[in-house]
Amino acid sequence: MQSSAAILIVDDHDGFRAFARVMLEADGFTVAEAATGAEATEAARIVRPGLVLLDIQLPDFDGFEVARRLAGQAGGPVIVLTSTREASDYGARITSSPAAGFLPKDQLSGVALRRFLAGSPGEGRT
Amino acid sequence: MNRALRAALVAGAITAVGCFVWSSWPPNSQYAPVEISFAVVGLSFMVAGMAAWQRWPASRLGLLFTIIGYLYLVPYILVNLANPAAWTIGNLSEGISGAALAHLGLAWPTGRLRSRFECGVVVANYVQNIAFNTAATMVWNPAFSGCNASCPANVLLIGNGSRSAWNTLGTIAALVGLVITGIVLTLIVRHWRSARGWSRRAMIPLLWIAPAVGAENILTGNLFHFPALVTYALLPLLLLAGPVLFVISTVRARTAGGALGTAIVDLEPGASPDRLRDALARALGDSTLQLAFRQPGGAGHLDTSGQAVDADRPDSGRAVAPIAGSGGAVLVYDEGLELEPQLVKLTAAAASMALEHTRLQAEVQAQLEQVRASRARIVEAGDAERRRLERDLHDGAQQRLVTLSLALGMARGRAAEADPELGALIESASKEAREALTELRELARGIHPAVLTETGLTGAIQALVERSPVATTITAVPDGRYPAAIEATAYFVVSEALANVAKHARADGAQVMIRKFPGRLLVEVSDDGAGGARSEGGSGLRGLADRVASVGGALRVDSPAGGGTRLEADIPCP
Repeated sequence: MQSSAAILIVDDHDGFRAFARVMLEADGFTVAEAATGAEATEAARIVRPGLVLLDIQLPDFDGFEVARRLAGQAGGPVIVLTSTREASDYGARITSSPAAGFLPKDQLSGVALRRFLAGSPGEGRT
Repeated sequence: MNRALRAALVAGAITAVGCFVWSSWPPNSQYAPVEISFAVVGLSFMVAGMAAWQRWPASRLGLLFTIIGYLYLVPYILVNLANPAAWTIGNLSEGISGAALAHLGLAWPTGRLRSRFECGVVVANYVQNIAFNTAATMVWNPAFSGCNASCPANVLLIGNGSRSAWNTLGTIAALVGLVITGIVLTLIVRHWRSARGWSRRAMIPLLWIAPAVGAENILTGNLFHFPALVTYALLPLLLLAGPVLFVISTVRARTAGGALGTAIVDLEPGASPDRLRDALARALGDSTLQLAFRQPGGAGHLDTSGQAVDADRPDSGRAVAPIAGSGGAVLVYDEGLELEPQLVKLTAAAASMALEHTRLQAEVQAQLEQVRASRARIVEAGDAERRRLERDLHDGAQQRLVTLSLALGMARGRAAEADPELGALIESASKEAREALTELRELARGIHPAVLTETGLTGAIQALVERSPVATTITAVPDGRYPAAIEATAYFVVSEALANVAKHARADGAQVMIRKFPGRLLVEVSDDGAGGARSEGGSGLRGLADRVASVGGALRVDSPAGGGTRLEADIPCP
């Protein structure tokens, strides 16, 4: 059983995952990784993260679909969608998904994720 | 009909009429009306003969008509000559015209008899006519008819003649004539009933000639006695009807060539083969006309009603004319039309032109369709390429720049504590990376808006409106998703229109309205600016019109000077 501050990074970009792990671990988070939507649902069941940083563009199914599946799990994590694109590129799909919000990739930081965990995403929320 | 023949026929007719007038001058008041009426009948047959020769050179009808004309005139001339021999021959030959008339009726319209049996009937009729006339003349003393000193002598008379023999011969002749006439009329009715199409029409004048054949026999025969007025007023009228009708039908047929032109001109371009057949049939006067096309793979010919046609061995009574340059199409028509080869040739030529026209039109239509489809494919391929480029940028350079930017941010945090100068340097590098990322995002959006792929028109139009420097409201945008090419077209219409509003319109506000109707999507962008935009002017609007046309739509620009601009794209959409 992991601490509630465990974070699952779901992204098919190895470089980004590696960097995000370094950054978030430096900020005191426990970090797990998944590269596909299928891996993400599997990892979420085992790891039971407090927060899932979920890239929208995935090789198997997209972040919205993964969010829907994760939200269906008991005691579901806080889900934060992310992308190199802007929130406006996804329009209402973000607000209508079960995710807590959207964080542009270039604004990733431990501080931003803690806000989501505290239930007030602040600026990152769209 | 050649000139010499025409001249001979005209000269013959004038001579005959001249001789008739000369021989009967001064007119005998008692017989004059009868003689004149039969002269008119004779002349009418001569004119009909010329018409027949002109109309159907291949038919013997002209010859028959002409002979009958003379057979009505010459006996009167001979009788009037007051010469015993001529007078006798004139009296002898008076009835032959009736047999010739029966011959004409049976040989209609080719002038040729159809079978040996019919030949036999015609010969028998001539023979009985001449035989009985000769026999009767031999026993006929002109005094029996109240003609004493005033008549020339009967040169064939044997002794003083015999009134009873003359009467008996007359009765037998009338009976035999009646039987033969009955046979002739039955045969004519059978010809009429078996005739179809053109042949049936060509037999219409015969409807008057056939009764005349019967009437002549009955009215002049010895069996029934009619008042002279009935005989000599009714008979010429009946006899006249046939030639007159024939001349009228000939004049009408001469306009058939013109009717053919009219029929083809009236035919709308690309008319169905069915309609072409009807037009040709009307022009040709042959309701049985078939227009048959060769089936691929040597499967023979099929006419426009789907019936199989043997173009090499047509059914009896039918004839075939090929249509040039039509890939083996043929006209199958009533054999009777062989009498009018020129009309058939003209009709085949007209059919050839009409089919060629239809074929060319179909070809142009097919080419146009190909060009349309290839234009749509080119635009779609362009769209797909733009989508791919945007995605490549997103997956590659953008992704790396994001990571780089984050790394620089973290490096700056760590370096700043140890070395503020290095921290400032990294900060400036980080700023550059962020700006590069922003520029790259704009570039990617310009290549293809991801929001359109992700959310369809609703989100994409919303994003466009939000970025527009002119205050813009969305009146309506449908929620549904449509084919990518249609969404992209609608998006580019709004994007280009809003860009124009910002650049040229000097407007305070703009409106976007996209509505879905059955089968189409209507995109409208209007502003309250200066107006005066022309679709043929700027290359932007021209390109947009092309883009809309590529998906089969139409772009309209309404932009009166000072009255704002309204751009409307009507796009076919399932």
